[in-house]
Amino acid sequence: MTAILDIQDVRKSYGSYAALKGVSLSVNQGEFIALVGPSGCGKTTLLKQIAGFEEPDTGRIAIAGADMAGVPAAKRPTSMVFQKLALFPHMTVAENIGFPLKLRRTDTAEIKKRVGQMIELMQLKGEYLTRYPRQLSGGEQQRVALARSMVSAPKLLLLDEPLSALDVKLKKVLQAELKRLHRSVGVTFVHVTHDLEEAMMLADRICVMRDGAILQLGTPADIYYRPAGSFVSGFIGETNLLPITISERTSSGLIYQAADIVDTDGRIAADLVAGKVAKGPALLMLRPELLRVLPPGETADGAIAAEVTEMFGKGGTVQYRARTPGGQMLVVEIPGTSSLPMRIGDKVRLGFTKKDIYVFGVEA
Amino acid sequence: MTKSWYSDLPQYYQRQIKAAGLDEAGLTRRRLLKGMAATAGVAMAGLSSRPSQAASQMTYMCWEGYNDPRIIDPFRKANDVEIAFDLIVDSPGGFAKLQAGASREVDLVSSDMPWITRLGPAGLAQELNPADYADVYATFYDQFKPPFEPLLNEGKTIGVATRWGWVGPCVNTDLTKPEIWKSYDPVFDDANKGKICVMDWGDWPILPMALHAGIDPYQELDQNALEETRKVLRAMFKNTRTLVADLTQAQKGLLDGSLLGCIGAGSYLTSAVRKQGHKNIIAVVPEPKNGLKQGIIWVEATAILKDTDQPELAQKLLKHVVSKESGHVLSLLDSTCNVVTNKAVEALYTPEERDILQADYMWTAWDNSQMHRIAPNIDDMLAIWQEELAAAQ
Amino acid sequence: MADEVPRSWRDPDLLIKALPTVLLQTTCFLAPLVMTFLLTFQRSRNFQLQWSWDLWTWTDVFSKPHYWTILGHTIFMAAATVAICLIIAFPIAYGLATRFKAWENEIKVLITFAFITDATLKIYGWALFLDKNGMANYALSSIGLPPEMVAFLYTDWATLLGMVYSLSAFAIFTLYLSISNIDRSLILAAYDAGAGKFRAHWEVTLPLCKPGIWAGSVLIFLLSVGAFLEPKVLGGGKSPMSAELIRQTFETRVNWPLGAALTLVLMVVSVFIVLLFSRLIGLKRAGLAA
Ligand SMILES: Nc1ncnc2c1ncn2[C@@H]1O[C@H](COP(=O)(O)OP(=O)(O)O)[C@@H](O)[C@H]1O
Ligand SMILES: [Mg+2]
Repeated sequence: MTAILDIQDVRKSYGSYAALKGVSLSVNQGEFIALVGPSGCGKTTLLKQIAGFEEPDTGRIAIAGADMAGVPAAKRPTSMVFQKLALFPHMTVAENIGFPLKLRRTDTAEIKKRVGQMIELMQLKGEYLTRYPRQLSGGEQQRVALARSMVSAPKLLLLDEPLSALDVKLKKVLQAELKRLHRSVGVTFVHVTHDLEEAMMLADRICVMRDGAILQLGTPADIYYRPAGSFVSGFIGETNLLPITISERTSSGLIYQAADIVDTDGRIAADLVAGKVAKGPALLMLRPELLRVLPPGETADGAIAAEVTEMFGKGGTVQYRARTPGGQMLVVEIPGTSSLPMRIGDKVRLGFTKKDIYVFGVEA
Repeated sequence: MTKSWYSDLPQYYQRQIKAAGLDEAGLTRRRLLKGMAATAGVAMAGLSSRPSQAASQMTYMCWEGYNDPRIIDPFRKANDVEIAFDLIVDSPGGFAKLQAGASREVDLVSSDMPWITRLGPAGLAQELNPADYADVYATFYDQFKPPFEPLLNEGKTIGVATRWGWVGPCVNTDLTKPEIWKSYDPVFDDANKGKICVMDWGDWPILPMALHAGIDPYQELDQNALEETRKVLRAMFKNTRTLVADLTQAQKGLLDGSLLGCIGAGSYLTSAVRKQGHKNIIAVVPEPKNGLKQGIIWVEATAILKDTDQPELAQKLLKHVVSKESGHVLSLLDSTCNVVTNKAVEALYTPEERDILQADYMWTAWDNSQMHRIAPNIDDMLAIWQEELAAAQ
Repeated sequence: MADEVPRSWRDPDLLIKALPTVLLQTTCFLAPLVMTFLLTFQRSRNFQLQWSWDLWTWTDVFSKPHYWTILGHTIFMAAATVAICLIIAFPIAYGLATRFKAWENEIKVLITFAFITDATLKIYGWALFLDKNGMANYALSSIGLPPEMVAFLYTDWATLLGMVYSLSAFAIFTLYLSISNIDRSLILAAYDAGAGKFRAHWEVTLPLCKPGIWAGSVLIFLLSVGAFLEPKVLGGGKSPMSAELIRQTFETRVNWPLGAALTLVLMVVSVFIVLLFSRLIGLKRAGLAA
């Protein structure tokens, strides 16, 4: 597979403030990459370097094998969907969508045809063509913005949180739409979002950023179950992080002790450990849905004793909070059934399977 | 009326502002509104309240200069009277204002003589009994003693002459010889193209040009005579560098040599520069052409309004304005210097002051000049002026 | 719905409430206009108004070509001033709005100062500067250039210079507001769509500046039409514009009916041109007017 986008050690500072501190990233043809990270971590800045609105201080950006240094935005095979959509208020929907084609001196009949196709692809009504952007709803404007970005068949579609302003329901609809588009058009998407859930749903790979650097790049499952650290693990959903002490590293894994955990062998396989963990304190991650209530007598790879303190329904699932004798709070999520396995005040054992845990070092 | 947005500025700028028509009276739209208020019969008089520390108040409509503190202060103190000024910017404008209702407010007016005389038929002026003024007339030059015909309306005296001067070419003797200006011919000389300055002062530049064309503008004119005037104005515009409404601009041009001569002004323009020491700037009067005198004598006069509520004070102030002491101040102001009608003032002049005023020349000028009056066809001539100016571009 | 009072012009309550506004409007705006109009049916003879109630004034206005020559010249000068002001103001306003964002407040203060400093003094300053023996010529000849190089004082060029000088601040101000209101991402979107700098200006920045262009143009046009200081002081009064013609008519000729008629003609023609201009730049189409 060829890399459509290849970013190597890109750095960018605004005055003394370093917005990108050496970012390297390689994106494959046809891939859907999600860039996630808290606000201000440099996501938009990275997109700007790719789109060519700004030039990085150092580093290299190549698109389809061509070095982009000195190539202006207008000449790059990229197209951006802006956070605020940036539809031209003085142009009709048809003029907005046809604008990139007009700039490429496409003839009018061809523009009309392609705009028609885009309208269809975006499932917009034909009567909207003569309307102005402000006469459309938020979702419709979104589709027009997407249509404008895709009409010129870019190699790389850059989306800067285009869904962040929409209400939850519409967001879900458009997320599905994006996924559908990506499949049907086959363009490479680099989609910025601060919503990891959205990234999980849409992306082939997720790139988690923080403070101008990439923390982790991997599949949604990697990010979810094998996060590079507590920051990534806490970024999506809820998670249980239990302090452990690593007493020994062996070739096959490591040996650990933990106050609250009753483990059968006290060992963890090497593939369940994030790279840099050394001897000493570390964190053991257990996703809430991977804990289950052990009926009396039953055993598991590992178990934690705890007392249920809180309980609330979450639609299809029920979530519990429980406290270990050491004072650690745990979140447990189990599918909602008619008979509840535990009640507030119950003293229970929560079991887990060894392959479901993940260990990483304690970060600053 | 004495306080306005520009009254705190230096005198120089105030003059510029007035010259540019930016002062109250000059702003056309305001003028229009005032006019409309007048036609609608709306009188605003009495609405404005004046400070009233003094025993009595009066309003004096006059040219700038008549309000000089050196003239007014002694009178104010002696009579315990507060005087408000309504400064005239152009004489027709002042007249129009009085007609529009200001006559109810104003007690005394000093303006150009024809306009003072016109207050008579307009029913605005109090007729004067020359006998009441025998004391002031006693020291007047004979020429201005009653019966002074131009100030008579149906035989009745309307006002007292105060200050006077002559209209003729104003030139810089370093650049041109006065002898050349024995007629207005140099105005039309091709060699002087772009060197002639024309005062943008209504009828003032038109009248001498008519005289040059052999037409007496003070007579009723027929179509032929008006066409002759048109021709001479057209020829004048050919050589005109600029029209100037601002005295200082014309003075500067004469001094720096960018202007060879100014038409439509006279001693009124040159004297202030002479006072500053530039004795090379003079106002001459051309010699009679085919028996028609080419110069024009302008006279300013002072009249009392019929509606005045202070007839005695107004008379006192009039007499004060033409007095020996006031006359001396009035004839040697900073903005302009002009001879006055009171012969007694001459005794106060130093030789230098006589030179500034071209006092040795004044009777020569008088002899070669027409007395300025209302020209019967001035409407037509001004219309022609506008037309020719529009065509001159 | 039941307790909703039907509001009609018959409603006495509404009438009373609207009365002050209506009165103010009529007295301040309508009444002077009507009076001006009525005035045009009178005559002036020997500086005195005569209630003749005839069409003498209007006959004069429509039979003398020079009023229209001056009006045409005025419109031309005003249009030229608008055009030059816009051309000068656009890059300045653009620079201020984009490059110098950091000094936004200082810039606004400066522009305000440009508005409030006295025009009279500035115009006289220019006259002194451009004069035959003025500073411009002095400076040029002192660096060895031939004397009197700057010789356009007392021409229409000098008038134009003065008007552009005193009015361009309005264009800078309105354009500055317009440009700084344009979302930067719209420009980026244009680049992204493949537009070069020039094309992005032409297709996006310029159309989005229309409200500013419109406001600036109308302001400058109306102020230029009313200009009298510049043609007088810098133009040498030889090529008068309508405002000067009207002033002359009112003050020197003391012909109020004619002055009123000329004022009305100027007003009507100006309003007509402004409307035409709005149509021309298509302010309505993009719905940018509001
Ligand atoms: N033009 C700029 N000048 C100065 N600082 C900037 C500029 N653009 C972005 N930044 C700063 O760089 C950091 C990253 O910004 P950005 O990439 O927009 O974050 P986000 O991840 O929310 O998109 C932020 O702290 C922002 O304040
Ligand atoms: Mg962002």
